[in-house]
Amino acid sequence: MIPEVKELINNFEKLGYTVEEELATVFLLMLKMQKPLLLEGPPGVGKTESAHIISQYLQTDLIRLQCYEGLDVSTSIYEWNYQKQLLSIKINENSGLSANEKEEHIFGEEYLLKRPLLKAITAVDKPPVLLIDEIDRADEEFEAFLLELLSDFQITIPEMGTIKSKHRPLVILTSNRTRELSDALKRRCLYHWISYPGLEKELKIVRNKFPEINVEIATQLVTFVEKLRKLSLQKSPGIAETLDWANSMLALQTNNFDKGYIEKTLGCILKSENDIQTVKTYDIEQLLDEIKA
Amino acid sequence: MAIFHYTNHQNIDEAMLGFTAYCREHNLCVGLSHSLEAINVSAKCFLTDQNTLRYALKALFCTCEEEFEVFNKCFDVYWGKRKHEYAHKIKNSNSSNVTKKANASLVMMGFKPNGDEKDKEEEEDTKNVSGASRVQALKRTDFSKIGETDNRLLDEIAKQLLHQLNHRLKRKMESTKKGKIDLRKTIRRNIPKGDMLLELSRKNRKQEKFRINLLLDVSGSMDKYSFFLLKFIWSLKSHLKQIEAFVFSTKLVRITDLINEKELNQTLLNMSYHTDNWSGGTRIGECLRDFNENYAKRTLNGKSITIVLSDGLDTGEVGLLTEELRKIKMRTNKLVWLNPLKGMSGYIPEAKGMKAALSEIDQFESAHNLESLMKLENILADA
Repeated sequence: MIPEVKELINNFEKLGYTVEEELATVFLLMLKMQKPLLLEGPPGVGKTESAHIISQYLQTDLIRLQCYEGLDVSTSIYEWNYQKQLLSIKINENSGLSANEKEEHIFGEEYLLKRPLLKAITAVDKPPVLLIDEIDRADEEFEAFLLELLSDFQITIPEMGTIKSKHRPLVILTSNRTRELSDALKRRCLYHWISYPGLEKELKIVRNKFPEINVEIATQLVTFVEKLRKLSLQKSPGIAETLDWANSMLALQTNNFDKGYIEKTLGCILKSENDIQTVKTYDIEQLLDEIKA
Repeated sequence: MAIFHYTNHQNIDEAMLGFTAYCREHNLCVGLSHSLEAINVSAKCFLTDQNTLRYALKALFCTCEEEFEVFNKCFDVYWGKRKHEYAHKIKNSNSSNVTKKANASLVMMGFKPNGDEKDKEEEEDTKNVSGASRVQALKRTDFSKIGETDNRLLDEIAKQLLHQLNHRLKRKMESTKKGKIDLRKTIRRNIPKGDMLLELSRKNRKQEKFRINLLLDVSGSMDKYSFFLLKFIWSLKSHLKQIEAFVFSTKLVRITDLINEKELNQTLLNMSYHTDNWSGGTRIGECLRDFNENYAKRTLNGKSITIVLSDGLDTGEVGLLTEELRKIKMRTNKLVWLNPLKGMSGYIPEAKGMKAALSEIDQFESAHNLESLMKLENILADA
C-alpha cells in the first residue's frame, strides 16, 4: 500500500466511512486522473454514500442528479424561467428599449434556471462532486448525451452559446445494474464493483456508526445478516439494512438478540413478504446457535 | 510466439504497453486511450506497490465485474515472477462458456425442403386457392403444415403484417399523447402576434417504452414450430427495439444479441454456434428459475410484457414451474403464454405443466399460424 492510499483510508475513517484498500486506490486514481468513476453493485452497499464522503473530504459541494426514466434536458441541465421572461417583456413594453436589447435582457443568466449538470459545470470556486445516481434507470438517449458532457465538460445553450467548465467536476456514477450500460460510457469511466462487505468490515461499519451497541450483540447481528445473504432471497439485505437493524436495537432498548426479537423486527432487513416467509420457515433458533458457536 | 512478461521490456512505459497488449489479447476491452492512461498511472507513483498498481489498472481496464477474474490472472502472469509458463491457461470466461457446436441442422429443423411430412389434405387446401384468398388461407395454415413453396410467400406476408403491426402500434400510442404546456415553444410560436400568447404548444409525452421478453421453447416437442416462431421473434426484433429473447429446453440461453443480424440466415448460423439446447427435453421450471435469478432484475419492470412460447409439455417439477411463473408475474406487467397446440381443434390443456401454469398467467393464446401471432397486437397495445 502506498502512503497516499493509507492516508485516504484514514481520512475516510475519520469521516465515518470504512473503505478497503482497493476502493481507496480507485478513489485516489480518480482524484489524480480527473476521470469519472462508475460504481456498480447491489443496492445498499454504500455507493451513493461514497460520493457524500468524498465531497466532505474535499470540502466541496455535492451536486446530485437522480436519474429516472424520461429524464430530459429541462430537468437535468437547464430551463428558462418563462414566467419571469414574460413578465419582463410586459414590464419593458413601453420602456423604449430596442428589440435586440430586450432579447438580450430576457436571455440573461438571471432568467436561467440551472439544473444539476449545468450547476456542476458552472461552479465558481472549487470543482464540485457531481453524483449521477442510478444511471441505469435513465434512458439510453440520456446516457448518450452524458458522453459529450463527460469527455468535454461543456454544455451548449442555443441562446447563450457554449459554457465551458472552469473546474472539472469530479463525477461519480452509480448503477444497480438493472440494465447493461453502453460500452462507450464505460470506456470513459474508471470502474469499480462494490460487493457486500466481509464480516469484519461490516462489524467495523456498525460499530463506527453506533458506538453504544454491545460488541457481542453487534457480532451476532452482523453474522446473522451474512447468513441471510447466503439464502437465495429475492432481495438480499445491504449494509444500509444492517445499520437499520442495529439502530432498531438501540431504539427499542433491547439487549436480547433472540428468536422473538428477530421475528418481530425482520421487516428492518427484509423488504418482501416472500423473503420474510422464507426466513421464518428456516429454523431461526438453529441459525442463532450456529452463530453463537 | 512472444512471451508476455514485463522483464522482456527495456523500460516501464514499454512494459505497460506490453501489458495493455496482453490484456487486449485476452478480450478485455482496452483501447489506445487506455494505454496512454496506464502510462500516466505508472508515472503518478502508483507503481511502487504491486497491489496499488493492480487496483488502479483494474479500475481502468475492466468494464464489468465478470472481467475481474481474467484481469487478475493476466496481471499475475505479466507482473508476477515468471509465471508465464501458465499463460496458456488463461481463458476469458466470457468466451469459454460458449460451446461451439455445429448443429446448424437442428436449428434448421423448420425447413422441410422436400416437404415429405406435409399433410396432403392441407396442401391441397392451400394450393387450390389463388390470389387474395390464397394469402388469407396461408395466414391461417398451421406452421407445421407449410411446405417449401409456401414458405417464401409466408415470409412476404409476415413482413407486411409486421410492418402494419408496428405502424398501428405507433399510432395507438401517439393518439394518447397529451402533455403539459411547453412554454418555450409557445413563446416561439407567438412571437409574430406580439406578446399575447394566443396559441399554446404542448409538450408531447415521451413515448412509453415497454420491453418485451420472449421465452421460446425449442425442445423436441416444439420442433415443428420453433423455427417459425424464431423467425417471428427475429422480425419482431427488427421492428421493435426493446426486445429481449431467450430460448430454452433443458437450459436457458439468451439470444438477444444473436438475433440482431440483418440477415435471418446469419442469425441462424450464429444461433447454431452459440446454443446447443435444440430439440432436447423440456425443463421449463428450471429454465424459468435461471431466468429469474440471472436476468429478471435487468429485463423486467412495470412496463414489460413477458411472453412464453411453449407447448407446456414439461418433464420437470410442476411446483417449481408455478412458483417461478409467479415470481415473473410479480415483476412484469403482463404474462402471456402462447401455445401452438391451442390452435388444434379440441385441444384441452391437459399436460400437467400447462395445466398448472394456467392459474398463474394473464393470457393464454394460440400461436400456430400467422393470424394468431398477429393477435399479439392487441396484447401489446393494451400494455
